[in-house]
Amino acid sequence: MVEIQSYLILSAITFIIGVVGVLARRNAIIVFMSIELMLNSVNLTLVAFSAYLGDTTGQMLVFFVMTVAAAEAAVGLAIVIALFRNKQTVNIDDINILKW
Amino acid sequence: MVEQTLHSLSQFLPETTLTITFCISILAGLILRNKPKVIPVISFAGILLATVFAVRQMGSSQAVFSGMIVVDPFAVFFKLLVGSTAVIIFLFSIYSQEVQSTLKRLVEYSSLLVAMTLGMFLMAGAVNLLMMVLAIELTSLSSYILAGYTKEAPDSSEASLKYIIYGALSTGLMLYGISILFGLTGATDVYAINRSLAATSVNSVALLIAVLLIIAGFGYKISAVPFHFWTPDVYEGAPITITAFLSVASKAAGFAMLIRFFKISFIDFNLLAAHAGGVWGLLQGFEWNKILAILSVLTMTLGNLVAVWQNNLKRLLAYSSIAHAGYMLMGVVVLNDKGLAAVLVYFMVYLFMNLGAFYVVMLVANKVGSEDIDSYKGLGYRSPFISVAMVVFFISLAGLPPTAGFIGKLFLFAALLDARWVWLAVVGALNSVVSLYYYVRVVRNMFLRDPEGSTEPIRFSFPQMAILLLLLVPTLLFGLFYSPIVELANASVLMFGVR
Amino acid sequence: MTLETILFYALSFVSVGSALMMITRRSPVMSALYLILNFFALAGLYLTLHAQFIAVIQILVYAGAIMVLFLFVIMLLNLGDEKKLSEKMSYKKIIPAGLSFGLLMELLYIVSYAKSDLPLTHIERATEIGTVEYVGKALFTDFLFPFEVTSILLLAAIIGAVVLAKKKLD
Repeated sequence: MVEIQSYLILSAITFIIGVVGVLARRNAIIVFMSIELMLNSVNLTLVAFSAYLGDTTGQMLVFFVMTVAAAEAAVGLAIVIALFRNKQTVNIDDINILKW
Repeated sequence: MVEQTLHSLSQFLPETTLTITFCISILAGLILRNKPKVIPVISFAGILLATVFAVRQMGSSQAVFSGMIVVDPFAVFFKLLVGSTAVIIFLFSIYSQEVQSTLKRLVEYSSLLVAMTLGMFLMAGAVNLLMMVLAIELTSLSSYILAGYTKEAPDSSEASLKYIIYGALSTGLMLYGISILFGLTGATDVYAINRSLAATSVNSVALLIAVLLIIAGFGYKISAVPFHFWTPDVYEGAPITITAFLSVASKAAGFAMLIRFFKISFIDFNLLAAHAGGVWGLLQGFEWNKILAILSVLTMTLGNLVAVWQNNLKRLLAYSSIAHAGYMLMGVVVLNDKGLAAVLVYFMVYLFMNLGAFYVVMLVANKVGSEDIDSYKGLGYRSPFISVAMVVFFISLAGLPPTAGFIGKLFLFAALLDARWVWLAVVGALNSVVSLYYYVRVVRNMFLRDPEGSTEPIRFSFPQMAILLLLLVPTLLFGLFYSPIVELANASVLMFGVR
Repeated sequence: MTLETILFYALSFVSVGSALMMITRRSPVMSALYLILNFFALAGLYLTLHAQFIAVIQILVYAGAIMVLFLFVIMLLNLGDEKKLSEKMSYKKIIPAGLSFGLLMELLYIVSYAKSDLPLTHIERATEIGTVEYVGKALFTDFLFPFEVTSILLLAAIIGAVVLAKKKLD
C-alpha cells in the first residue's frame, strides 16, 4: 500500500519543476508547457486526496482544471502566433518579464 | 433536481441575460457582417438589462445551483458596480479611436466585453472555490484577448503574452493552494471549509501555505504587490477602454472574491453571535489579516513610489491603481463590518474618479496622439474644461476635500483607527502625501507650463462632454452628499449564511 | 514490496525524469515529447489511485488534444531549428531557482509534517468513485452549473484564439 505522502511529495516535486520552467525558460512555448506541468501536478494532488478521502469532489475538480488548461493553452498559443507575426520571435527575453 | 435548477435559473436573471447577450452578439456578428456597428448596441443593451435585473435582486439572500453561487446584497452590490462600469466603458468605446479604427473586429470586442462582465458577475457571487477559479478564468481569458486586441500596435501582443503568462502562473499557484486546502478540509465550498476548520484543528503551516498560494490568485486579480508585475505593461499596451475596465471592474470583482473567501472561510460564528457590529473573529488562531496588512503596505508604498517616476500617463495611472488596491486592502484588514463598508464606499467613489481620469487621458490621446506627460503642457489654456475636470479627478484620487475621494479615505481611516490599527493608518496617510506629488506634477504641466508646439484650442463634441459630466458630477457631489452611498454600503455588507 | 509499490516508484521516476528533461531541452519539439511521456506516467499513477475515467481522459484530452495543439503550433512557426532558439543561461536565473527551491522545501516539509493530519487509509469506495457512471452522475447533478460555465469559457477561448491567430485584420 503506497501512502498518500508519497503522492503528495511527487506532485510537489513536479509542481516545482513546472514553476522553475515558467520562471527560468525564455521560450514562450516551453513556458506554456511548464504551466501544463504545474496544472497536472495539481490534478495528481486532487486525485490522490479524492482517493484517500473517498470524496468525489477532488476528481470533479480535475475535469475543470483540464478544461481551464485547454482554454489557456489555446489562447496562449494564439497569442504566441500573433507575437511571432509581429516580431519573428517566441523568446520572452525582450519582453523583460520582471520589469517594475 | 429539475425544479431546483429551474428555481435557481429564475434567481439568476442578470447572468442569464449576459449569457444570452453573449451568444446573440456572436451570432448577429456572423449574420450582419456588413453592419458591425449594430453589435455593440446589442451588447450594450444586454449589459444595461442585466444591470437592471441586478438592481431587482436587491434584498434577496439565497444560495442557488447546489450551493455553487449565492445571491446576496454583497454580490448584488458588486454586480451593480461591474455592470455600471461596463455600461460606461461602452460609452467610452464610441469615442475611442483605437476601437473605432478596427471597425470590423467590433464584434469580438463587444462580445468579449460581455463575456468578461459575465465572468465578473460570477466572481461576485461565487462561494465555491471551483466556481471562483472558473469565474476568474472566464474574466481573465476575455481580458487576455482584449489586451491584445489592437494587434498592429507592437506592444499590444507583448502585453497580452506577459499578461497570460502571469495569469496562468498565478492560476496554477492558486489551484495548488486549493488542492492542499481540499486535502486539509475535504471541501471546496467556503461554508463547508468553515465548518471543517471550526470542528477539527489542522496543521497550521499547511494552512498558511495553502492560503498564501490562494492569495497569489486573488493578488493577481487585484494587482497587489508582489503579483503586480503585469499591471503597468498591460495597462500601457491595452486599448484605454480595456485598461479603464480592468482597473475598476476587474479589481472590484477580485476584491469581492477575496473578501468573501476570507470572511466566510475563517469567520468564528460564536464570536459573531456574541458581539454586536459584525466582528469576524479568527478560526484556528490563523491571523490572515496580518498577511493582508503586509500586502497592503507593500502594495500602496510600491505603487506610489514608482508612480513618481512615470512619464506616460497610462503607466502613472496603472501605478496609482496599484496604490489604490493597497488602500482598499487596509479596509479588509479591519475585521469588522465597518471596515468592509468603508471598502465598499471607496469602490463606489473609485469607479467615478478613476474612470474619469482614464476618460480624459483617452480624449487627449485622441486629439494629441500621445499619452506622454509632456503633451499635457499648457493643456489648461488649450482646453480649460477637460483640464479642470482632470484636476478634480486627481484631487479626488489623492483624497483631498471637497471631492468624493476624501470621503472614501475618511471612512477607511476611521475604520482603521477605530480598530486600533494606528501604524497602518499612518502608513496610509504618508502614502497619500506621496501620491499628491505625482498628481500635482500633471496638474502643474497643464496649468503652469507653456504649451509646446501647437497652441490651438482643442474642442470636444457635446456628447463627449456629457459623458465627462456623468463622471465629474458624482465625483464632486458624493464629496458633499455622501449619505446615500454610505447607506448603500452599509446595507451591502450582508453576506448569505453570515448571521 | 508489493506490485503496487513497484509500479508507483517506476511511474514516479518516469514522471520526475521526463519533467526535468522537458524543462531543460532546447528544442520545443523534444520538450513536447517529454511532456507527453510525463502525461502517460501520470495516467498510470491515476490508475494506481483507482481513477480510471480520469486516466483515460488524461490520455485522450491532454496527450491527444492539447499536446497535439502545441506540436502543431511549433511546426506552424517552424521552431524546429535549434539555432533560432538559443537560450543563454544567466545569473538572473539563480533567483527564480532559489525561490522555487525554497518553496519546494516548504511543500515537502508540510506534506511530511502534516502526516498526522492527513487521512491515511485507502477508502473502499475509492474504486467506485472513479468509474464513468459515478463521475457522470456527479457532473450532471451537483456540478451542473460549473459544467455549463465551462461551455461559456470554452466559447470565449475559441473566439479569442480565432481573433488572435487570424492572419489579416479584416
